Amino acid sequence: MAAHPKPMSAPQVRSYLQGPAWEWLTTVDHKRVAVLYGAAAVLFLIVGGIEAMLIRIQLFTPDNHFISAEIYNQMFTMHGTTMIFLVAMPLLLGCYANFVIPLHIGARDVAFPRLNALSFWAFLSGAILLHAGWLMHSGLPNAGWFAYANLTDRQFTPGLNMDVWVVGMLILGASSVLGAVNFFVTIVTMRAPGMTYMRMQMFVWSMLITAILILIAFPPLTVGIIFLLMDRFFGTHFYQVLAGATPILWQHLFWLFGHPEVYIVALPAFGIVSEVIPTFARKPLFGYPMMAYSIILIAFLSYGVWGHHMFATGMGPVADAAFAVTSMLIAIPTGIKIFSWIATIWGGSLRFTTSFLFALGFLLEFTFGGLSGIMHASAPIDLQQTDSYFVVAHFHFTLFGGVVMALLAGFYYWWPKVTGTMLNEKLGKLHFWLTIIGFNGTFLPMHLVGIWGMPRRTYTYGAEMGWTTLNEIETVFALILGLAFAVMFIDVFWTIFAGEKAPSDPWDGRSLEWSLASPPPAYNFATIPTVRSRDAFWVVKYGRAGSRGIAMLAQGRSPQVEPEGPPTEPIHMPAQSIFPLILALGITVAGLGLLVDYPRAMITALIVMVLSAIGMGFEYPTFGEETEEAHSTSADADVRKVGLWAFIGSECVFFASLIATYMVYKARNVAGPGADILEIPLTSFSTFVLLMSSLLMVLALAAVQRGDKMWTRVWLLGTVSFGLIFLGGQVYEFTHFYHEGLALQTNLFGQTFYTLVGFHGAHVAIGVIWLSVLTIAAFMGKLGKSRALSVELGGLYWHFVDVVWVVIFTLVYLMQQVKGA
Amino acid sequence: MNEATATSEHQAQAHSQEHAHPGPMVYVIVAVFLILLTAMELTVFYVQALKPVLVPMLLVLSGAKFILVAMFYMHLRYDGWTLTSVFIFPLMIATLLLFSLLALFAYLSHHMAGVVT
Repeated sequence: MAAHPKPMSAPQVRSYLQGPAWEWLTTVDHKRVAVLYGAAAVLFLIVGGIEAMLIRIQLFTPDNHFISAEIYNQMFTMHGTTMIFLVAMPLLLGCYANFVIPLHIGARDVAFPRLNALSFWAFLSGAILLHAGWLMHSGLPNAGWFAYANLTDRQFTPGLNMDVWVVGMLILGASSVLGAVNFFVTIVTMRAPGMTYMRMQMFVWSMLITAILILIAFPPLTVGIIFLLMDRFFGTHFYQVLAGATPILWQHLFWLFGHPEVYIVALPAFGIVSEVIPTFARKPLFGYPMMAYSIILIAFLSYGVWGHHMFATGMGPVADAAFAVTSMLIAIPTGIKIFSWIATIWGGSLRFTTSFLFALGFLLEFTFGGLSGIMHASAPIDLQQTDSYFVVAHFHFTLFGGVVMALLAGFYYWWPKVTGTMLNEKLGKLHFWLTIIGFNGTFLPMHLVGIWGMPRRTYTYGAEMGWTTLNEIETVFALILGLAFAVMFIDVFWTIFAGEKAPSDPWDGRSLEWSLASPPPAYNFATIPTVRSRDAFWVVKYGRAGSRGIAMLAQGRSPQVEPEGPPTEPIHMPAQSIFPLILALGITVAGLGLLVDYPRAMITALIVMVLSAIGMGFEYPTFGEETEEAHSTSADADVRKVGLWAFIGSECVFFASLIATYMVYKARNVAGPGADILEIPLTSFSTFVLLMSSLLMVLALAAVQRGDKMWTRVWLLGTVSFGLIFLGGQVYEFTHFYHEGLALQTNLFGQTFYTLVGFHGAHVAIGVIWLSVLTIAAFMGKLGKSRALSVELGGLYWHFVDVVWVVIFTLVYLMQQVKGA
Repeated sequence: MNEATATSEHQAQAHSQEHAHPGPMVYVIVAVFLILLTAMELTVFYVQALKPVLVPMLLVLSGAKFILVAMFYMHLRYDGWTLTSVFIFPLMIATLLLFSLLALFAYLSHHMAGVVT
């Protein structure tokens, strides 16, 4: 946690959440960032909902031309993209997790508050760019949310449509990874004293595993999109059959992300339901350990099931069988969770609030969607259902019936804590029943119409197909579903203007957030709580079995526990910062510059981004110092160190995706120079230089740790020099190959080699910049023993770049004669 | 001993462990091993007689270099289990991903050539 000494006075606390626009633009408070995420996501929910309604109106009658086929393509592409990336993820991760996790673990903020703000502004930047198509002649992205190659080839999508998608998605991906690093580090290192892993709320468990899943699932997508960007902007042929490439590569990279993505949104939904059900059943969550282990198992298995989206591509019987087995296995931990929720409800003292009703709705609809999912795990059945409306029905039962129901359960559950007001329960229940009716009426018939052969993404259909009645029913019920959300918005507006004030613990809750005022103060906890059991606040209120509290519960009474008063001592909270917003603006301008081919704008934006990043670093008053906060972690390492390691872990998967592509495409190279062009003597020298730079780096660390300023400078300068020599060697190598006739666009070998080695070189360049800043600080006398951590962090990154090169040197250079896959 | 005291003592102990890094001599010895391993890699590459075992030998040698850098220069040997697991798990996943994709595309190349590209 940042440690800027800024004591919160009582008036400041009172004015909290009522500040001017500037306060919001510069906020780094996790609760405000959560509200910003929530507001943006709701806006995009409306956009995505309108897109869905346009799709349903188009399919209302046969041979309909309400919208054109091109607009229809844009609508289903943007509906999927919007609902997944701009609604579900920002709501679950950006809004709910941001608000709740620090409160659940007894922390005052997330591990990296500025990074948290940057995640939001970068998300908004990506979302705006995705919708830039509204202002462009070519229109919105139009090749589906999955963007299958080679539909996305410039030849078939010549306009800016998919350019916008590529740039927007890259930014959204970066935002998600930053957020995941933040949540991971927060949960691992910032839990209150006594809060062991097995005492965490199940929502925290689900977010911990979701963060890990994001870190390992997004890199393959990033690599796939980088290839697509290079194909569209720089004339490479990563997905072009004529060049020897295969569009199947995109499907693998996309679904390596795409199926874990289902669980990236489902696991937090499981977490929400695991909070709501015990609260309103007034029972502890049944089978807590198995619930936690199930989340881990689901996440692990989810990374090995991507192939079930590709049965129709002909992966072969062994791969089909393997993916079928893993896909079926995932039903076991999911089943454990469903039975545990039922067992929690069983025998409970139930209160049918709106939140609880939505949790029940989740249980019913998600189970239904899960059952049709098991069908898709079977390759022969899946081949019959692929690309039919049956699949549309299935994933809406899991994503709407599951994720959206859970989101709504969480919305009604945490709204009082976020805003300090109570939503109207009668309107809430009307919202629930309209949702259940509208949802089932819309998506149940899709199973039938899918089995009858109606293909998904079809613009229109003939009356003779016999699909008309069911499509009419679906559209009518979709309107009812839209009406349900209208009721929710009425409820929200009514509450904002005339809502009843919420007490601190309106639901007789079990977790720590209910011990705080509604809304909580900026610092969350005046005193960091010491946790002695699961459901910590419940135990505070009622005690353990046999105590007075249990007797009160039996009488249906709830003990009133007043939230703690203002802090008696100053609390150190992170200062507000404008740099995350400026950096995100730079990202937006750079993205736009790339889209409209305006290099000046891109260069200016890049400079702004670099300066903002440096500004963010240097406004941190204890940059590189081992602070008291950094010591008081629940893990055995510094917060920043855990964060860097998490990022490095994600980078491992990124480079593995690049290396795999290189090895696959090396064997498919059809013309021009191949791997035999590589020069071992030069590269051996570069390898020696990089390995020695790592030695100098650790010597610099040892010197700074013992307070030896002179040798710190010498070794750091040596590391930077060796890094520059390595980069010089790479520039020479690339130039030499270019003159030998191997350009980026020449063939599959050229594009994969330059991309892989070039990305490594870019990492080396970033490392050189990082270490140069440290070297300058050392020469200015600002790199003393107390800042050894900053040298250690720079060193970690540098050594990672080194080990990646160890792998590249072997697999790319020394195995040049070995045929690829 | 109450829980809070135990936790803070554990943190202090863990923190001191985290900083028990080796001295310069260990770093230099590791560097010598890294150079030797690289020299062995080049030997395997250039000596014709070793061609049949080129791939396994190179994998073992580069794996050894990787482990040496990670254990000693990145201090995983000295830091707590949290950092090790944060690195090892994604590394395992990355390795699985690499071999899975190679196997899937090898099948595609050998069995579907000319049919699906």
